[in-house]
Amino acid sequence: MTIDKTSPAPTPTPSGGSNTTGVRDTRGVRVFRWVNAIILTVVAAVTLYPFLNIVAESLSDEQFIRAGRVSLIPRGFNFDTYRLIAGDEAFWRSYANTVLYTVVATLIAITLTTMYAYVLSKHRLKGRGLLIGIAVFTMFFNGGLIPNYVLISGLGLKNTIWAVVLPNALSIFNLLVMKAFFEALPKELEEAAAVDGLNTYGTLWRIVLPLSKPVLATMILFYAVANWNSWFTAFLYLDKADMFPVTVYLRNMIAGATSATSVGAGSGDLAQISANIKSVTMVLTVLPIVLVYPFIQRFFVSGVMLGAVKQ
Amino acid sequence: MRSIFKRAVAAAVAGGLALSLVACGSSSDTATTSVEDLSKAASMDGYTVDEQFKATEPVSFSILYSDHPNYPLKDDWLLWSQLKDRTNVTLEPTVVPMSDYESKRSLLIGAGDAPLIIPKTYPGQEQPFVASGTILPVSDYLDLMPNFKDKVAKWKLEPELDTLRQDDGKFYVLPGLHEEVWQDYTIAFRTDELERLGLQAPQTWDDLYTVLKAIKAANPDSYPLSDRFKGNSLLTILAQSYGTSAGWGLPGHLTTWDPETKQFVFTGSSDEYKGMVEYLNKLVAEGLLDPESFTQDDDTAIQKFANGKSFAISANAQNVVNDLRPAIADIPGATVAKIRVPAGPAGDVLATSRLENGLMISSKALENPNFVALLQFVDWLWYSDDGAEFAKWGVQPTTFTKDAAGTRTLNADITFAGINAGAPKHLQKDFGFSGGNFAYGGTTDLLQSMFTPEELEFQDAMADKQQTELPPPHPFNADEQEQATLIETPLKDSMNSATLQFVLGQRDLSTWDAYVAELNGKGASSYVDMVNEAYERFQQNHS
Repeated sequence: MTIDKTSPAPTPTPSGGSNTTGVRDTRGVRVFRWVNAIILTVVAAVTLYPFLNIVAESLSDEQFIRAGRVSLIPRGFNFDTYRLIAGDEAFWRSYANTVLYTVVATLIAITLTTMYAYVLSKHRLKGRGLLIGIAVFTMFFNGGLIPNYVLISGLGLKNTIWAVVLPNALSIFNLLVMKAFFEALPKELEEAAAVDGLNTYGTLWRIVLPLSKPVLATMILFYAVANWNSWFTAFLYLDKADMFPVTVYLRNMIAGATSATSVGAGSGDLAQISANIKSVTMVLTVLPIVLVYPFIQRFFVSGVMLGAVKQ
Repeated sequence: MRSIFKRAVAAAVAGGLALSLVACGSSSDTATTSVEDLSKAASMDGYTVDEQFKATEPVSFSILYSDHPNYPLKDDWLLWSQLKDRTNVTLEPTVVPMSDYESKRSLLIGAGDAPLIIPKTYPGQEQPFVASGTILPVSDYLDLMPNFKDKVAKWKLEPELDTLRQDDGKFYVLPGLHEEVWQDYTIAFRTDELERLGLQAPQTWDDLYTVLKAIKAANPDSYPLSDRFKGNSLLTILAQSYGTSAGWGLPGHLTTWDPETKQFVFTGSSDEYKGMVEYLNKLVAEGLLDPESFTQDDDTAIQKFANGKSFAISANAQNVVNDLRPAIADIPGATVAKIRVPAGPAGDVLATSRLENGLMISSKALENPNFVALLQFVDWLWYSDDGAEFAKWGVQPTTFTKDAAGTRTLNADITFAGINAGAPKHLQKDFGFSGGNFAYGGTTDLLQSMFTPEELEFQDAMADKQQTELPPPHPFNADEQEQATLIETPLKDSMNSATLQFVLGQRDLSTWDAYVAELNGKGASSYVDMVNEAYERFQQNHS
């Protein structure tokens, strides 16, 4: 298959009747660009709107939110709720927990995944099929909720950080992506390293990993986002409020109100959380992970595609 | 290679089985012990009504704790330290976020890891755990709970307790007890609009129709009633005055007791239910009830109320203060208030029970050396007048004072539920009192002690309502329960979706008979037979 190298990558220039090469685009291409730009703009708007709406609400006066009059522009602009949350001990305590759990869990996960994937990428390994089988088995079957719970508490992990960071330490999907990436690396590089006297660990550490930055960055991002957002393991295995991650705190705030009204609970015990507090908490919770994306994106785009196709 | 894999799989499966057996093993050894043989360590001899319970030595009990987002648990609450001082008991809470309390409760009970005390359990929610034997049949041990027995006798709560009985004649949940029926949810109206149009607050559902029609005439672009709670509150209060049940009030067994024929009938196919559906259909057809009432979320409904697009909405006392008043603050002269729950064809009745959410006790409490002390403690904190006042109001003089006439006053620096608005401290957040795990039920005096004058007036107006006859106990045995679990959900789903179609006019009411036939095709009639058999069996065995 040949690719026409003269036309550049289609940048969305809706106004463009011509492009930088001076070759005039066909009518079809121009129509395509317009349609493309419009569709993508709509998709972007639909995706961004809820987020911007929450940001606007977090800066608005409660009065306007209740009346449903805040869309993209804050009304009754104020920082009061941010100030209020800044003084909320429970929120920051859970926030610190989330940071700790995410960092530790991501470190453990990326270490385990890299080592497992590297081993699996070596076809000469004895028992490789079994190792893959064990991994893939867990994608289709699991022990179920209660046996898992009994296991974790039997191991004495309940109410420790390990109950949060260990149970889902290895994502098999990520493992397989990474294995495919390692398999695609030129074998000759490793052979050369072996000739120069590096053992297996040296090869992995000095040759393979430096070449694997895109996939590592992608995996770290996958794991970090998953861990940052996860609440279920913490909810299952932690019984102390001062160990909860911020997601459990946030979920209780937002879903607590709904579950109380669904059973018609006595009015004294209904959750009444103001819309401002909800939106400020949401903004502060998603902010760090949203901010990470732009910095890691250049790895992300190349990393996730690498290893997807075997030559 | 393949055989190794197979063996590994077999080993894993065997391991999993062994684990789940361990999980179930601890539940079956709950032999009945006579009260004399029970473990009495730290308990009080001759503990009786209105006596302060104090364990004779320090003890601690584990408790499941539903953590409320409005007042997250704090270890330094006065509640904990005072409880220790008064009763010598330290509670060890397993903290569960309120949002997912029920899931975690099932998990812990299923895994055999539940704390001794399991609060916030609504009557009926204990059902799934009964067969496994993990929950204590508390009705066997009521002799250890003098305050509970006293309240049941004084307030004649026996018939209500009977509704909790299982097939073995015992009950497994200690419910919250109210002295009198108490209805909080009703419909709130824009009273300024009623006044402007010269209308009276409706007394019956027919009045309500007339009032809504007049509002519609004056505001043709509006839906006078646009409801929240997915219509569940409206359905509940409407159904009871039609002599049937719907919405939140629909019982798990989907049947209604007919006192005349002494039989249960299927709720969704009864004539009373049809009457209710016809009424709602009329409201929707004439544009008086927003068709979105049954699907929109609460915020949307409140926004319509706030923007003057609707003039009535379901509400409880707190909703009026926290949601509705702030929402209409921008409309000049707008006021809102709850109306007395309207009367209907079945009379001026309330179908509310005097039981509310309560607590379960784990069976493993029987093995606890402090078993008797545990029940005495539960009896004092949840069922004695002192315990209930302590849980609700706190401690004199730190949080409140009580004058000679018995009127309680919250201290000026503490705020709660609209009392002392703006005060620096909060009764729930800073002291732990009036929390949902400990404070509910009790005497009418205590219940109303924190009501606003407006709410007191509403309760006064509601006081002369008649309570409808309670359905007699009709508990399923294990086999029936299994069958019922399979059939109930599809029946309920088709009943609810057909109800909505009839109400919204998407299905013509002339097809009612076809709808009843559909229900029977899905097993409604055999289901009702099963309920009636269970009722008769219970009558024979336990009366």
